[in-house]
Amino acid sequence: MGFNPLAEKGIPIEKQLRDWSELNVHPYDKEQVDPYTRTRIITMNGVEIESIIFSRQFARRTDNQEIKRALALTRRIEQQQQKAVNWLTPGEETTLEVTIGYEQTAVDLTAYIARAEPDPYLKQTFELGLIEDSDHLYRYANLLALLEGKKAERITGPLTEIMPGRPTVAEHRHPFDDIRAHYDKNTVDPLSRLHVMTITAAEQQTLNFYMNMGARYIEPLARALYLEIAMIEEQHVTQYESLLDPLESWFQQEVYHHYNECYLYHSFMSQESDLRIRAIWELHLNMEIEHLRVACEMMRRHEGIEAEEILPKELPEPTLFQEDKQYVRQVLAEQVELRTVRTQFVPLDQLPEDAKYFEYQDAVNGGGFAPSERVIEEQVNASGDDYRFMPEGPHPVQGLRRRAPQN
Amino acid sequence: MTITTVTRMTGGKTTPIGMTVAPPERRMGLSDLDGFGVDEELEGIFLANFMSAFATHERCGVHLYRMAAGLTQIPEWREKYMEFEDHTKDHLRVLERLIERLGGDPMYVSPQARMAEFVATKLMEPILLEGSVDPLTLELTILEAVTLAERKRRLNWKLIRELADQMRETISKQAMQEAVEQVESDQDEHVRWAETAWLRMVMAQVM
Repeated sequence: MGFNPLAEKGIPIEKQLRDWSELNVHPYDKEQVDPYTRTRIITMNGVEIESIIFSRQFARRTDNQEIKRALALTRRIEQQQQKAVNWLTPGEETTLEVTIGYEQTAVDLTAYIARAEPDPYLKQTFELGLIEDSDHLYRYANLLALLEGKKAERITGPLTEIMPGRPTVAEHRHPFDDIRAHYDKNTVDPLSRLHVMTITAAEQQTLNFYMNMGARYIEPLARALYLEIAMIEEQHVTQYESLLDPLESWFQQEVYHHYNECYLYHSFMSQESDLRIRAIWELHLNMEIEHLRVACEMMRRHEGIEAEEILPKELPEPTLFQEDKQYVRQVLAEQVELRTVRTQFVPLDQLPEDAKYFEYQDAVNGGGFAPSERVIEEQVNASGDDYRFMPEGPHPVQGLRRRAPQN
Repeated sequence: MTITTVTRMTGGKTTPIGMTVAPPERRMGLSDLDGFGVDEELEGIFLANFMSAFATHERCGVHLYRMAAGLTQIPEWREKYMEFEDHTKDHLRVLERLIERLGGDPMYVSPQARMAEFVATKLMEPILLEGSVDPLTLELTILEAVTLAERKRRLNWKLIRELADQMRETISKQAMQEAVEQVESDQDEHVRWAETAWLRMVMAQVM
C-alpha cells in the first residue's frame, strides 16, 4: 500500500509556527548543489506561492470568520514554508544564474510530467510548452555567456541539453490561442490534476520572477530579453490554468492545493540527495498533512463532501526530476512547427491565412529584431558562435543546427 | 456504499463537449447513449443526459443535507435534515438502478449534469456570507436552499412519472413506474416539510 496523507498524522497546526532563525535557513552552496536539488527548491517555492495566492482569493470571497481564520492560519504557515524554501537560494547566485535554474526546472519538470501524463490532450499541451521553455533556457544561457562570461552547463550540470527549441520569436501567440480545453473533474485521473496544478504553479512563479527581476537590470538587452520571455510565461500560465475544471469548488480547490503539496514534498523527499534539504521536505510534508486535514474538514462541514470521496486511496506515482534529453529531442523534432488555433494544435503550414497568430506576430515582432534573436546575434558577434550544450549530438531539427558566424 | 461524488475512481464517464476534454477510455460515445430506453424508441441520448443530471441533483441533495445538518442550531431541523439525507441516498440508489435498467451507466456524468452540479453547489454558498448575517437568516437561507432543491428533485421524478404514463407496456415503462413509486411519497414529504418549516419560522418572527 502506498502513502495516503489522509491516513497520516501531521504536525498540529498550532505547533507549526517557526521563529526567524528557523526560517532564515542556510543557503545551499551554488558550486556544490545538485542541479536537481535547485530545481526542487524552485518548484516548491512556486507551489507554496500558488497555494498562498489561491488562499488569498478564497479569503476575499467570504466573510465567514471560521473559514477566514482557518485560511489565514494555514496561509501564515505556508508563507513560512515559502521563506524556508526560497531562502535556500544563495545570494551569491546572480539573477541570471537563478534564471537558468528556473528554466532547467521548466524543461525537466515539464518533460517528466508530459511523459507521465495519461491524457493525450493534456500531454500535448505540456509538450507545446516544453520546447518553448527549452528555447528560453538557450536564450538565457547566451545572455549569461554575454553578460557574465559563464557557461550555463556549470549550473545545469550534464542533465539538461541547452539548444534552440521552438524559437521564442515564434512562440508569441494571440491570447485567444493560449486558452485550452479543460479536464473534467468527474473523469480526470488524479495524477493529471496534480500535473496541471504543479505546472501552473511553477510557470506562474517563473512569470512573477521575470516580470519583477527583469526590470532590475541596467543592460538594455537583458531588460529586453526578460520582458519578452515574461510575456511568453504569461501565455504559459494562461494555457495551463485553463486546463483546470472550473466546476471544482473553492473548498475542493483548497483541498487539492494541499494534496498537491503533500504529493510533491513526498515525491521530492524520495529522491533528495541533500540530507539537510531532505529534512525540510519531510518537515513540510508533515505540516501539509495537517493543512490537508484542515481543508478536508472545511469541505466536509461546508459542502458535505468527505475527502475520501474525491481523493485517491494513495498518492499517485511520484513526480521526479531526471534526465529526459531524448524525450525533449523527440518532441522538438516532431513538434517544432506546431502552433495553436483556439484550443486546437495545428501545424504552422496548416494555419489559415487570417489566423490570429499572424496578426499577433505582426503586432509584437513588427517593430524590429526580437530581443530573443538579438541575444544570439550579439553572442555570435562577441565570441564567434552561440552557446550550446548538446552532449547527445547534433540538433534534432536540421534548421536549428549551428550556423556560421554572421560576420 | 452510496456514491455521492462521481470521480474517475468510481468509474466516472462523460461526453466531452465545448471546453471539456476527457481521456478516450472515459468518454461516453453517442452510440453508447443511444441505446438508453431503446425498447420505448425514446430519444435515448437526450434522456440519458437528463437522467444523469437527475442523479446529480440527488447526489448534491445528499451533500446539501449533510451540510445543513452540520450547521443548523435547531435540533428538530437537524433531525429532519439527517432523516432526509438517508431518504435522498435511497432515492439515489433507486435512480441509479433505474438508469441501469434503462440501459445506462449511473457513473455517466453528462454535460447537463455538470451544469446541474454548478447550479446546485451555489445553494451551498450562503455559508460564505455568514459573517454579515444573523443566525436566523442563515438558517432560513439554508432551508430555502433545501426547498428549492427538493422542488427541483420532485419535478424530476414527476417527469419520470409522466413519461412512464405515456409509454407502451415495456420494460422501461415498468422500471420507471417502480422507481417513482419508491420515492414519490418521500419527495412530497420533503417539499411539504421544508415549506411548512419555512412558513412557520417566518410567521413566528413576524406575528
